[in-house]
Amino acid sequence: MTTMTTRPGLAPRLTALTKVVELGPGRLDPKLLNDAGALLQRAGERLKLSSEHTVVALAGGTGSGKSSLFNAISGLELSPTGVRRPTTARTHACVWGLEGAAPLLDWLQIQWRHRFSRASALDKGDSQLHGLILLDLPDHDSIRALTDTEADRLIGLADLVVWVLDPQKYADASTHRRYVTELAGHDAVTVFALNQADRLTTEELAELVIDLNDLLRREGVEHPSVVPTSAVTGRGIESLKSVIATAVARRRAAIQKLEADLHRLEQRLIEAMPLGEALSAPSSVDEARRMGLTDALCDAVGVPAVGEAMENVYAERSTRWVGWPYPRWIDKFRSDPLKMLRLDDVADEIRGITTGSVSAQSAEVANAVHALADGLSMNMSPVWRTAVHQAARSRAGQLPQALTEDLAEVAPQLDRVPGWWRLLKVWQYLLVAAFLAGALWLVAGLLMPGQLPPSLQLLGDSGALPWVGLMMASVLGLGALSGIASRNFVELGASRERERLEREMRRRVAAVSATMVVEPVERELARHHAFYTALRDLSA
Amino acid sequence: MNTAMDDGRQESPGEQTLSFRPVRDDDTFDAFAAGPAKGARRDDKREQTGDEEPAAGETGATTESEAAADPPQPVNFFAPRKPVTGGGRPKPGDPPASTPAASGWDPAAPGKPDPAPDKPADSASPGGPSLFVRPATRGGFATTDEAVPDQDEPAAHEETAIAPASDQAGNAQQTGEEPTAEQTSGDEPSENETSGDEPSDEQPSPAAELSGSGDELEPEDAQSQADELDQPGDEESPDEAQDEPSGEAEDEPSDSAEDEISAEVPDEPSAETADETPAENETSAADETSGEGLDETPDTDEASDEGPDAISDEGLDEASDVTPEAATSSEAPDEVPDEVEATAEALSPEAVKTSEEHEETSKGTDGTRTEELPAEAAEALMAALDALRESVADLRFGLDLPGAEEARQAQADLLAQLEDYVLPRVRTSTAPALIVVAGSTGAGKSTLVNSLAERNVSRTGVRRPTTGTPVLVCHPEDRAWFTEGELLGNLQRLDKPPTDAATGGIVVVATEKLPQGVALLDTPDIDSVVEEHHEVAHRMLDAADLWIFVTTAARYADAPAWNLLKLAKERGARLAIVLSRVPSRSTDVVLKHFVRMLTEYGLGEIDRFVIHESKVEDGRLPDSEVTELRLWLAELSVDEERRAQAVRETLNGVLNSFRTRVPALAKHLEAQVAFRTELRRDVESAFLGALGAIDKASKNGSLLHGEVLARWQDFAGSGDLMRSLRLRRRGRAARQAPERILAFKAAIRTGLESVIVAAANRAAEEVVARWRHRAELGAKLAEGLDRPSDNLVRHTSRAIASWQEHLGELVRTEGVAKRSVSKLVSFDPEALSLIFMVAMFNGSNGEGVPHRLVNALLGAESLRGIGAKALSDLRARIGMLFDEEAMRYAQALDSAGIPDESVATRLYQATYNLEVAR
Repeated sequence: MTTMTTRPGLAPRLTALTKVVELGPGRLDPKLLNDAGALLQRAGERLKLSSEHTVVALAGGTGSGKSSLFNAISGLELSPTGVRRPTTARTHACVWGLEGAAPLLDWLQIQWRHRFSRASALDKGDSQLHGLILLDLPDHDSIRALTDTEADRLIGLADLVVWVLDPQKYADASTHRRYVTELAGHDAVTVFALNQADRLTTEELAELVIDLNDLLRREGVEHPSVVPTSAVTGRGIESLKSVIATAVARRRAAIQKLEADLHRLEQRLIEAMPLGEALSAPSSVDEARRMGLTDALCDAVGVPAVGEAMENVYAERSTRWVGWPYPRWIDKFRSDPLKMLRLDDVADEIRGITTGSVSAQSAEVANAVHALADGLSMNMSPVWRTAVHQAARSRAGQLPQALTEDLAEVAPQLDRVPGWWRLLKVWQYLLVAAFLAGALWLVAGLLMPGQLPPSLQLLGDSGALPWVGLMMASVLGLGALSGIASRNFVELGASRERERLEREMRRRVAAVSATMVVEPVERELARHHAFYTALRDLSA
Repeated sequence: MNTAMDDGRQESPGEQTLSFRPVRDDDTFDAFAAGPAKGARRDDKREQTGDEEPAAGETGATTESEAAADPPQPVNFFAPRKPVTGGGRPKPGDPPASTPAASGWDPAAPGKPDPAPDKPADSASPGGPSLFVRPATRGGFATTDEAVPDQDEPAAHEETAIAPASDQAGNAQQTGEEPTAEQTSGDEPSENETSGDEPSDEQPSPAAELSGSGDELEPEDAQSQADELDQPGDEESPDEAQDEPSGEAEDEPSDSAEDEISAEVPDEPSAETADETPAENETSAADETSGEGLDETPDTDEASDEGPDAISDEGLDEASDVTPEAATSSEAPDEVPDEVEATAEALSPEAVKTSEEHEETSKGTDGTRTEELPAEAAEALMAALDALRESVADLRFGLDLPGAEEARQAQADLLAQLEDYVLPRVRTSTAPALIVVAGSTGAGKSTLVNSLAERNVSRTGVRRPTTGTPVLVCHPEDRAWFTEGELLGNLQRLDKPPTDAATGGIVVVATEKLPQGVALLDTPDIDSVVEEHHEVAHRMLDAADLWIFVTTAARYADAPAWNLLKLAKERGARLAIVLSRVPSRSTDVVLKHFVRMLTEYGLGEIDRFVIHESKVEDGRLPDSEVTELRLWLAELSVDEERRAQAVRETLNGVLNSFRTRVPALAKHLEAQVAFRTELRRDVESAFLGALGAIDKASKNGSLLHGEVLARWQDFAGSGDLMRSLRLRRRGRAARQAPERILAFKAAIRTGLESVIVAAANRAAEEVVARWRHRAELGAKLAEGLDRPSDNLVRHTSRAIASWQEHLGELVRTEGVAKRSVSKLVSFDPEALSLIFMVAMFNGSNGEGVPHRLVNALLGAESLRGIGAKALSDLRARIGMLFDEEAMRYAQALDSAGIPDESVATRLYQATYNLEVAR
C-alpha cells in the first residue's frame, strides 16, 4: 500500500490542528475539541488506509431509490429494493478491485455479508471504476433513522457522497438542513443525483433541475453537480458513473473530503476563537511591564516609606550622638507628657525599635498582580483572559510572605551607631568641658581675683577675662555649628544609605516577582500564542 | 336544542373523568380557589333557609321535605317536584298532579311511566356533579337535557319551584356530595310528595323529631340512630326504596350504605302502606335522614375538602329548620299541598334571586332548556380561556437558557392556537368544521384539495415546496364565517394566492362542490427546507377541527410524518389519513405495512383512504380516486352530530393538551426564575465573601503591613508621635500637621483602598467564574463584567477619605479625653485619629504602642465605643460600594429580561380555572 501523496497543505494543516487540540483543553468548547480530535483521528486512519480506493456513498431519504441506483451502477441485484419503507437497514458495499480494500471496509464497519466484489472479468467495461467502493446507505430520514445513526456515520466517513434525491423529496429539510448546509464547502466531494427522473416530463425535469440548483446554491453549494438519473429506465446512470469514475481515477476524493472537513472545522474554530487581535497580544512580559510590576510590588511593601522612615529615624537618633547637647539637656527638664501619663515605657519601646520592619501588604500585592494580568490579557478572549489571570495568581498567595521574608534580610538596622558619631559626641563633650572650664575661669576671675592660689594667679588676670568670654562663646558656637554640620552629614549618609537600601529592595522584589508571577504568566502567554499561531496556520 | 342536549350528554360521561382528576389533584388549589366562594354560598344558603322558615310557617311536609331532602339532590329533585308546585297544588290523592313523583310511590299509578324517563335522567346527573366546584352546571346539563321531553311546558314554573331546590342542590354539591347522596334525596322528594298524597302527614313530624334530635347529633350518631330506626322502619322503607323508582338506588349502587338499604328493602313486606303509623313514618323519615347521613359520611371520603361536620351541619340544619313546621303540618295534613305550593311560591323569588346571585349552577339547570346554559357555560369557559390567553401572553422568557427558544415557540403556538382556534370555536360552536389537509412536501395535498373542490384552487407543481400560502376551500354559504369569523382571525384573507413568496395570509375560495358545513384547508408542507412553511402548517393544524394527513407510498415512514401523527394523537385531534401516490401493483404490500405501523403507534382505528398513483391532469386527480373521500366529507356535512362530535373531540383534545402544555411553560419560566435567583445568589455570596475578607483584614492587622507599617515607624520613630502630644500650654495655636502625618494618613487610605479593590476584583472574578460554570448563558451575561467598574477606585478613595474624616470627627467629638489627661496634655486630633486607626486595625487585644496610647489618652471605653462605630461605618460604606458593584450584575441579569415568578403561578391558576370552567 503506497502512502497517499498529500498535497502540500493538508499535512501542515493537520499538524496545526494537532497543536490546537493539544493546547485546547480548558480553553475550547469541549464539543468542538472533541470534533477536532475525531477529525484528526479519522484523517490519520483514512490516510493510513488504502489510497487506491475511493469510498462513494449513496445517501438520501427513504424511497428515493438509493438501492435501485446502487444496483443499477453495479449492474447486479445486490441490495434489495422494495416498496416498503424503509427498505434498507444495513449498508451494502460493492467493491471494484478488491485488492487491499478489506482494511478500509473494516474501518467503515461494513458487515462481511454485505460486501460484494465486482473485480471479476465481467467488468472490463467498468475498468474506469477500478478502486471504487460503492456504499448503499440506509436512509437518514425515516422513523427508523431516529434511532440509527449508521447513515450519519458513513456520510461522515465516505470520501464522496452521492445524494440521491427524487422529485418528491428533493427539498426535504431532513436532507438539506442536516447535511447539505452542514457540508457546504464539500462541493468537490458531493454529487446530487436526481433520481426517478422517469416520473417527470422533460419540461418538468428541466424546471426541477433549475430549482434544485438554485436551492443548493442558496445553501452554499457553489458549484452543485446535479445528475438526473432514473434507475428504472437506466437514464443518466452512465453519466453518474462517469462522474464517479472521474473521482475514482483521480484518487483525490479522500484528501478533498478531509480538506473540506478540515475547512469546516476550521471555520467553527475561528468562530469560537476569533483570531482577531489575539496574535497581537504579548507573548512575553516585556521590560516595561516587569518594571511596572516591580514598582507596584515595591509600593505594596512600602519601599519608599521604609527608606524615608529609616532616614528620619537616623536623623532623630543621631541628635543624641552628634547634636548640640544643650537643647537636649534643657528638654530633659521639661516635663514629659508620657511620663505624666505613665507611658514612659511607650517612649522606650519606640526608642527601642532596632530594625525597620518590612512587610508586604497582601491586598496591594494582589492588585499589582491583577493589574499586570489585566494589561497583558487586554486583547484576549474571555477564556484566555481568565487563564492569564489564573496563571498570574497561581503563586500570588505565597507572594506576600515570600516578599516579606526576602526583604527582611535587608531591613535597615536602626540602632546602628557609626564611629564618627561617637567621636563627635566626644568632641561635643570636649566642647562642653571647654565651656565649663571657661565658665569656671570667668567665675574665678571675676568673683575672687585675690583669693586664688598663686599657682592659679593667671586666672585672676583681668585682662584675659574678655578673651575667656570670647572663647566660651566660640565654644558654644562651635558646638552648635558642629551639631548642625554633623547632622547634615548624618542626613547625607542616611539618604545615601536609603538609596542603597531601596535599590537592593527593588532588586529583590524584581527577583521574587520574576519567579513567582512573571514565569507562570509567560508560560500561559506562550500557550496562548502557540494556540493562535496554530489556528492561523490551520486556516492559512 | 338538540345539539345542546347532545353537548350535555356527550360531555358528562366523557368529561367526568377528565374534570374529576385535576380537581382532585389540586385539592389545595381547589380549596384556594373555590373555598371562599363555597363559604359564601353556604352563608347564602343559611340565609335562605332562614328566610324560608317564616314563609314556610305553617307548611309542613313540603318545606321540610325540601329542606331535608333537597340538599343531597341537586337536579333530580326538579323533575318530581315540578308537578307538585308548578303543576298546580297537587292535592293529596290527585294523581295527575303528582304523577311523576307519586307514580314512584304507586307502581300502579298512571303517571308511572313518566318518572321512569325522569329517573334515568336523574341518575345520569350524578355523572355530572363529580366536578366539585361547578357541579350543578354539569348536573344541570345532563338532567335537564333528558328531562326536557317530559317537562318542556312546566319549565317556566319550574324556575320558581325549582329555585330553592336547585339552590340547595348547589349547597349539597358544595358540601361535596356525590351522586350517591342524590339517590336518597331522590327518594325523598317523591316520598314527601307521596306523604302529601297519602295520609302521610305524619311523615314530617318524625322527620322533625329526628331532625330535632339530629341537631345535636354528630353524623355518626345520626347514622347509628338511623340504624336503630332501620329495624322498625323496615316496613316503611321498602316502600320508598322499592315503590319509588328505586331503580335509582340500584342504578348506582356505589354507596355501600345505600346498598344495604336497598338490599334489605325488597325482602321486607313492601305491601305496607305509608299511612301505617307515625312510628313507621318516623322511620321512613329517619331513613331519609339516615340515608343522608349515611350517604354523606362515605362521601366525605371522596370530598374530603369539606369536613364531615360541614355536611352534617347542613343536613341537620335544614332538618331543624323544618321542625316547627313539621309539627303544624302533621296536624293539618290536608292543607299541606296548598301550603306547599304557597311556600314554594313564597320562597321562589328570593330563592331565585339568591340562586342567580351566587350559583351559576342553579341557573344552568333552568337554562338548559332555554339554551342559555351553554351560553353561560361558554361564557365561563371564555373567561377562563381569556385569562389563560392573557397569562400566556404575559410570559417572557428573557434568559436564553437551553429550552428557552422552544418555550418561546410553544408560547407563540399556544397563543396562536387560543386566538386562532379555541376562542372562536368556543364562542361559536356551530361553525362549520375546518378540515386541515397537512402532510409532507410533494405528498399531493394541493392536488387532493383541487380534486375535491373540482377546481384548481391551489397551485400544484413539481417544484418543492409548492404551496406557501394556505388555501381554504368552503361552500359559499360558509364563506362568511371563514372570511369574517375569528377563526385564524389574525391572518389576512386573500382572494388568490400571492405571486411572490410573501406569506402571512390565507386564501379563501368558495365552491359549491364542497358540501356545506365542512371546509378544506390546504396547508404548506411540514418538512421542506422552507421552515416558515412548517410554522404555517402547524399553525393551521392548531386551528383544525379535523386533520387530513396526506402521505405517500414513498414517504410513509418519514420521521416528520410520524412526528406529526404522534402530535395528533397527543392532542387528541380527529384524524383521517390519506395514503396517496400508491403504485397500483404494490398497494397491498404498502398498505399492509403502513397499517401495521399505524397500529403499532396506536393509530390503527383511524379513517384511511388510499389514492393510487395516477396521472394528474391539470392539477387534479381522476375523480374515481377521491370518491371515497368525497363521500366521507358529505357524510360529515350531513351528519351534524358526527361533525359536532368530531369538532368537540378535537377541541377537547386541545383543551386537554393545555393541561400539559401550559404547565410546561410555567415550568420553564420557573426554571428561568430559579436560574436568575441562582445567579443573583452567586453575586450576593461573592460580594458577601469580599465584605467578609475586608472585615477580617481590618481586624487581624493584615492591613498594617507594607507602607502603613513603614509610615507608622516613621511617624513614631521620628519623634512626631511624641511631638504630637504636647503639654497643655495656654495660647498655643494648633500646629499644622506635619508632612509625615499626612503621608501616614495617605498610606492608611491607600492600604484600605487596596484591600477593598482587591476584594472587589476577586468578587468580580468569582461571580464571572461561577456564572460561566453554570451555563453558557451565564458566560454570555458575564461578558465585560469580569472586572470591577471603572469608577470603583475613585469611589473607594472618596469613601475612605470621607470615612477618615468621619473618624476624625468621632475622635474629636466623642473621644473626649480623660479629664486627668486633658488637663495635662493637648494632642493633635489629626494625629490622634491616626493613632486610633492603627490601634483599631491592629486588632491585637490591647497590645502595642498605639493601643496603649489611645487607652491612656481616651480610655479603653471610648476606644471600644468609637472603634465599633467607626468599623460599622466603614463596613456600611464598603457595603454601599459593593452594592453598586453588584448592581451591574443585577442589571446584566435584568436587561436579559425579567421573568416574573408570579406569572407562573397565574399560569397554573389559569389552567386550573380552565379545567373548572370546562
